[in-house]
Amino acid sequence: MVSKLIIAACCATLAFAAQPPQKIFPYATVQEDLPNGLRLVTVPTDYANIVAAFIVVQTGSRNEVEPGHTGFAHLFEHLMFKGTEKLSQARYNETLNRIGAASNASTSDDFTVYHTTFSKEDLATVLMMEADRFQNLKYSEPEFKTETLAVLGEYNKNSSNPFRKLNEVLTDTAYDRHTYKHNAMGFLKDIQDMPNQYGYSLKFFDRYYRPEYTTIIVVGDVKPKAVRELADKYWAAWKHGSYQPDIPAEPPQEGPRTGHVDWPQQTLPIVTIGFKGPAYTDSAKDTAALDVLSMLAFSPNSDLYQKLVIQEQRADALNASAPSSVDPSLFTISARVKKAADLAYVQEQVLAAIKTFQEKPVDAARLDAARRRLRYEVALSMDNSETIAEIVASYVALRRSPDTMNKLFEQYASLTPEDVRQAAARYLVEAHRTIVTLTGVTLTGSGGDR
Amino acid sequence: MRLLAPLLLLAAGAPAQIRTVPLPSKSPLVTFRIVFATGSASDPAGKPGLAYLTAMMLANGGTADLTYKQLVDAFYPMAGGVAAQVDHEMCTFSGSTHVDNLTGYYKLLRGMLLTPGWRADDFKRVQDDAINALKVGLRGNNDEELAKEVMYANLYEGTPYGHYPGGSVSGLEKITLDDVKEFYRSQYTQNHLILGIAGGYSQAFLDNMKKDFRKLPENAGFQPRITAPRQIDSTRVAIVEKDTRSVAYSIGFPIAVTRGHPDYAALLLVSSYLGQHRMSSGLLYDRMREQRGLNYGDYAYIEYFPRGMFLMEPQPNLARQQQIFQLWIRPVEPPTAKFALRLALFELDKLCREGLSQEAFERSRGFLTKYVNVLTKTKRAELGYAIDSAYYRMPQYNDYLKTHLAGLTLDDVNRAIKTHLRSKRLVISIVSRNGEDLKRQLASEDASPMTYNSPKPPAITEEDQTVEKWPLNLRAADITVKPVAEVFQ
Repeated sequence: MVSKLIIAACCATLAFAAQPPQKIFPYATVQEDLPNGLRLVTVPTDYANIVAAFIVVQTGSRNEVEPGHTGFAHLFEHLMFKGTEKLSQARYNETLNRIGAASNASTSDDFTVYHTTFSKEDLATVLMMEADRFQNLKYSEPEFKTETLAVLGEYNKNSSNPFRKLNEVLTDTAYDRHTYKHNAMGFLKDIQDMPNQYGYSLKFFDRYYRPEYTTIIVVGDVKPKAVRELADKYWAAWKHGSYQPDIPAEPPQEGPRTGHVDWPQQTLPIVTIGFKGPAYTDSAKDTAALDVLSMLAFSPNSDLYQKLVIQEQRADALNASAPSSVDPSLFTISARVKKAADLAYVQEQVLAAIKTFQEKPVDAARLDAARRRLRYEVALSMDNSETIAEIVASYVALRRSPDTMNKLFEQYASLTPEDVRQAAARYLVEAHRTIVTLTGVTLTGSGGDR
Repeated sequence: MRLLAPLLLLAAGAPAQIRTVPLPSKSPLVTFRIVFATGSASDPAGKPGLAYLTAMMLANGGTADLTYKQLVDAFYPMAGGVAAQVDHEMCTFSGSTHVDNLTGYYKLLRGMLLTPGWRADDFKRVQDDAINALKVGLRGNNDEELAKEVMYANLYEGTPYGHYPGGSVSGLEKITLDDVKEFYRSQYTQNHLILGIAGGYSQAFLDNMKKDFRKLPENAGFQPRITAPRQIDSTRVAIVEKDTRSVAYSIGFPIAVTRGHPDYAALLLVSSYLGQHRMSSGLLYDRMREQRGLNYGDYAYIEYFPRGMFLMEPQPNLARQQQIFQLWIRPVEPPTAKFALRLALFELDKLCREGLSQEAFERSRGFLTKYVNVLTKTKRAELGYAIDSAYYRMPQYNDYLKTHLAGLTLDDVNRAIKTHLRSKRLVISIVSRNGEDLKRQLASEDASPMTYNSPKPPAITEEDQTVEKWPLNLRAADITVKPVAEVFQ
């Protein structure tokens, strides 16, 4: 059975007004399902010549349910470039090279995305090559083993950044059972053991590289009918799978937790605070309310940022991110301070600011300003087909449809100051809190012990 | 065909005429790139970082009318802001707005650039941030960038490029607010200014903008003479010692080729053949990562490319009169460090001796001819490239490059390799733990055999026998070891 849905049919310009809210995603979009479960989303834009193809596989570190096998979704991001019987890795690369395509991939907690940006005349070539590797990937054990070393190299190049280590420790401390306990890179010990896991890698591919996990997003100088014909031609034979991961539910956290990282080098101290938040939702207000809370309480125009970073100058960075994942994830706040002696003070100030937001509804004018900002952020970022595809991919990763974005923005539009207060009171609670600090061997920053 | 860069408007004789690069369109967005053709090469002696601090004061401080908080509040609902980028010859202020907010956004931008607030508390914060960017950011958090910047500073020692564009810790500490005001007064002038604007603005808007910027002084007080670096007589190595997991390399030497040089397209093709960031088709990527699993990737560039690890493509408005050829070898595991260096130099030597094959030439040319469209896929980038073309006084970049690539032959490329590239007399910088131990290893010609976790094809194992003994020609005296705390101090 073929379903077809025209999602938005407003004109393909970026014009909008804050009131009344129009759909945030301004492009006419065609969403279709092939009989094998593969989803195709086509978004014609008025940016000439260029096409971006983003293929979202709804498999990320969240799907790594077996102990000792963290990092495999990310490893696949690498292995997928290893070629097939028909198109060796060298020929795949040569073809991309010949057509001047920019191609890459990335992995997060919930999904892996493979993306290629190219000239419109090469659409058939790209969809054919992608179809081939998604269905017929083939790599030998020696090739596999060598690629695991490139993954270790990636870990190594990331490892000089203390924020990465801090986040690793934060999720490891905050979670007991759910796979959000580890990040997309995986635990170092599992990365080091990857060369011995060739057999497991074949199983992983067989489970997750299936049409029901996959959505192809084609954005740019294209016609939906032609894209559909190419999808039918190259992707229709891909077989539906049957695997459903048993992702463990995280039991409720029953008290505050703490952790600490001794960083072996000189750095400024950092405190990061995570609260167990909800799963992504656009049918209720929770995600939208926490998102707006993160802006109002911790962004550069917030009272707390102005106090700690601009006036007192005790911190040089303060930021927060609201949960936006398939399963319940963390609302995190991080601050980097200039003097170790101020670490506790800054932490107290963050917690005090949260208390204020829990007790008193925000000013309605500030809520409106945040809403306007969210809409203009989207409008400003949608200035080329590749970025539009990237934005669509991030929503497809959650709900397999670009309309997800419109639904979330409808929630932003409906928020009241009381909604934001309630979200702060419900989720940013002590019992569900994890605080991790990081300090270096000595303080060497400026504005502190200088 | 020699297309001129989009309307580089030079006045007929009037020194006060302002250079503009306009790219009008029907877009609902307006993008600004306002470039002052001055930068850290103009830092006075003893005060490296002055150009950087000045730009950061403008971008991250208040205006005469608005405190920084008021400025942040005003930008907030527009999702607006102004970013600053400082290099040796350019300070760039960039930002975008929706046409709904054009008037309000521009008023803030104009205030920031033309009537800065110069408040002491803003200065203290911006100065702290600049020092921490060096002490914590560059030294502490990013070994690859550190290796690259140390290599640049060593290569250009004694010239106006001989310091990091972000300055040095002691230089930044010495700089006062009065120094910043003086740098602004003498360098932010009409003859340094290039006004870049793209998107849905009107001609009247641009005319008014030009009128506003005529309030700046007409001519700059000081312009450095950009000189070529001193000749490099033999390879020299700087090891930066820090407690880190892996070993990062940057390798380079000066070239006489900048954008607009007759050999630019040929050398760009060669660097693309060797590899560009995150493209899996490059030679070094294949030889070092894909075949041998040494690291995450390896690339080559013929222009300055800061912050590369965060970017798919180089950013515009880093134009320089002097450029270098550089290899970017991503961090390797310490036991393979010596072999990795040998392999990089072996491949460079092979390239210099043998050049490209006809097939590799055709492939790289085909790639670049199309890839140039990807480079300028956003209005931001298109505007940036147009400004660079204005600065280099060359035609519009895409057409220029496509035309020159189309006219290239394999002989042209291989001649350019012979003329400009080399595998000896290099400047190498390394970020590693156990610096003295690495120094001892590199100063010895002892073999550095590779072992792998899986069988390799005979072609690789045979080649390894050559690579593991590849002469480094380094004496202990050519290698310095410096603790990270002393770098950019």
